[in-house]
Amino acid sequence: MTRIGFLINPIAGMGGAVGLKGTDDKVEDALLRGAEPQAKNRAKITLNFLKKSKDLIFFTPSGAMGEDVLREIGIHDVQIVSHPANKTTALDTKIAVQNFIERDVDLILFCGGDGTARDIFDVVGRNVPILGIPAGVKMYSAVFAIDPSTAAKVVLMPGAPSYRDSEVMDVDEEAYRAGELKTHLYGIARVPAAAGKIQISKQVFEESDEERAKGEIARFIHEIMIPDVLYILGAGTTTEGIVRELGVNKTLLGVDAVKNGKTLAIDIDEKTLWALLENGHEIKIIISPIGAQGFILGRGNQQISARIVRRVGIRNIIVVATPHKLRETPFLYVDSGDRVLDAEFGNTVLVVSGYRMAQRKPIYQPQRG
Amino acid sequence: MQTKILLDEEQIPKKWYNVQADLKSPLDPPLHPKTQKPIGPADLSAIFPMELIRQEVTTDRYIDIPEEVREVLQLWRPSPLYRAHRLEKFLKTPAKIYYKWEGVSPAGSHKTNTSIPQAYYNMKAGMERIATETGAGQWGSAMSFATMLYDLECTVYMVRSSYTQKPYRKSMMHVWGAECLPSPSTKTNAGRAMLEKDPDTPGSLGMAISEAVEDAASHSNTNYALGSVLNHVCLHQTVIGLECREQLALVDDYPDVVIGCVGGGSNFAGISFPFAGDKLTGKHKDVDIIGAEPASCPTLTKGLFTYDLADEAGYTPLLKMFTLGHDFVPPSMHAGGLRYHGDSPIVSRLVNDGVMRAVAYHQSEVFDAAQTFARTEGIIVAPETSHAVKSAIDEALKCKKSGEAKTILFNCSGHGNFDMSAYDDYYSGKLVDYEYPDELIKESLARIPKIS
Repeated sequence: MTRIGFLINPIAGMGGAVGLKGTDDKVEDALLRGAEPQAKNRAKITLNFLKKSKDLIFFTPSGAMGEDVLREIGIHDVQIVSHPANKTTALDTKIAVQNFIERDVDLILFCGGDGTARDIFDVVGRNVPILGIPAGVKMYSAVFAIDPSTAAKVVLMPGAPSYRDSEVMDVDEEAYRAGELKTHLYGIARVPAAAGKIQISKQVFEESDEERAKGEIARFIHEIMIPDVLYILGAGTTTEGIVRELGVNKTLLGVDAVKNGKTLAIDIDEKTLWALLENGHEIKIIISPIGAQGFILGRGNQQISARIVRRVGIRNIIVVATPHKLRETPFLYVDSGDRVLDAEFGNTVLVVSGYRMAQRKPIYQPQRG
Repeated sequence: MQTKILLDEEQIPKKWYNVQADLKSPLDPPLHPKTQKPIGPADLSAIFPMELIRQEVTTDRYIDIPEEVREVLQLWRPSPLYRAHRLEKFLKTPAKIYYKWEGVSPAGSHKTNTSIPQAYYNMKAGMERIATETGAGQWGSAMSFATMLYDLECTVYMVRSSYTQKPYRKSMMHVWGAECLPSPSTKTNAGRAMLEKDPDTPGSLGMAISEAVEDAASHSNTNYALGSVLNHVCLHQTVIGLECREQLALVDDYPDVVIGCVGGGSNFAGISFPFAGDKLTGKHKDVDIIGAEPASCPTLTKGLFTYDLADEAGYTPLLKMFTLGHDFVPPSMHAGGLRYHGDSPIVSRLVNDGVMRAVAYHQSEVFDAAQTFARTEGIIVAPETSHAVKSAIDEALKCKKSGEAKTILFNCSGHGNFDMSAYDDYYSGKLVDYEYPDELIKESLARIPKIS
């Protein structure tokens, strides 16, 4: 039996339809503008597929946060873990997740947006895998299935489950409503490896184990690191793996600098980075695409700004990513804030994906479509 | 408008052509992996019959094909040469495109051209069993067919990623009575060592060679057979080019461009060596000979021309060839037969000397070409072969630009009937364009202090 912790953020997605770009602290505003709850209907699509399985036990909060929709769909193998009040808050989500952990669930399936993902991640960290049914206004995190029916397919995936790291993103909603997209890498969660969820036979030739792929990338980067060159490493577990191979620690969410196998600075901001450049260091940047859409620049690596990239030179950027990550992003994106620079990246980029191995990936260029 | 150019059975070549006779200077000798001194016939006799060792080193221009071998070759040879009228029309090219169709052999590719003589000479030498390796399964099935004909047992070590990906190749080997094991296996020391190092390895041709060589060296009734790379293998494949030259003569033509795909180099050698000989001897100085290889394993275009091991574990002699390093494990792309870190020493030498040249392609573009070919000429080619198709189309399109009516010949080395999952991946957008990051590697190598 697979133990599923299930929860809905009943208000997720309400802001979008009425142009609020997110629902944090805006529920009443949204309701006033005539918004209707979206999350329940999205969750129903997933649950309709899951109810046919006899191998699932659901743990869920009572009422609108889970129990109601499970009963409506006709799923009765349900254990209630908490009793949120009528007007649910982030705290209710966190209490439910704490209860899921205590009941030893195998997977937390949630229906919501980036905000819900962050609340769950705050409690669960990397201890239990999570999977999102997309229902929010913003879904920049890479923890969501493509759509509700795919979420069901991922849950019902046959064979021993495998997991991968995925970014939870934090979007500044105030700035977003004002028309500015500010996203930050919030954390890295575990999600079921969706690769192989359909037509497993075709995937066997791919690297099946993401950790192994990270090790291969690290081994290769280690091999090609040049003495006396300063390496700026962006956020994420792939770049972290590279530094770990050197035997030193790296901040998971920050940008660090490494030279001759030693850490020079950790969690550096743009200004410090610029100062390093001014010091006349020869610099190379190693970054990994971030978020559900696969951004090389502009999401989670904002410290590496357009002026830094210009100074270092595009040819001195080494992009790294596991085959898993690349399989899920048909295009990569660049959003440095400088459109001319973005265009200079061209139509494709070479991404190191293994030991002495890379993949040629297309970059989405808006003017090209 | 003639489409098929056919020869009679008695026109199957009676001799193989040995391009070593026409090289300006002898090949660099294979070296012993331990002593690094040139190896002699005795070093190879543990795993090869003496006649194949002789063919490996001889500089005689022609070598007789035994009548018993020609009788078997008659099952499918001479293979047809096609004029690709429909492809030419589709491309709107003034070029004339010919392709030699080797997919008519029982195993579906050119590999039987050498598996038959290799099995024959081993049978003559009193061997009872053959141990060999296979990448995509083409060679393994060809060797299974050949050993069956001469009553030999056969064990095939098949690269693990292909073993899972191409189950029907394995089934063919069983039909012809061979044993097929996924490599690395637990049957050999080399295999066990590799599994211990990396239990999830997709395997590689280099690893499988180590296993088969060890198997042969440790059983007195068993010899080893290699499906590509070695000189005698390339020699046996020259029936392809020799027939082509006769077939083109029937329509008063001679190629300006000769193309084959390259993994270990044998099918490319097969179609091109007779023409390379014409070039070396000054009969046709201008023929352009092109080897098409994958961008993910770009041995000829990005490798170094140096001595390297032919296998992973270090059982084989050091060969002077283009190589990406014997520890390089190419990614598991669909053209499994082209996943080899090195290349035929003769092909390498001819590329190094400028007699031939090489191009490298990504997976998705070769499948574009294969689709064009299937939709014009009808044949669904193997992913390996699609590299040659792509190169032929590129050359024909160059002619369209320049207005030249060149004659382009390529080796259509095998069918893709067991590769339909690769085509499915192509249609569902799942093909990955692997690429060897040579710029990064070269930049770092350039900064390594030189040891004098």
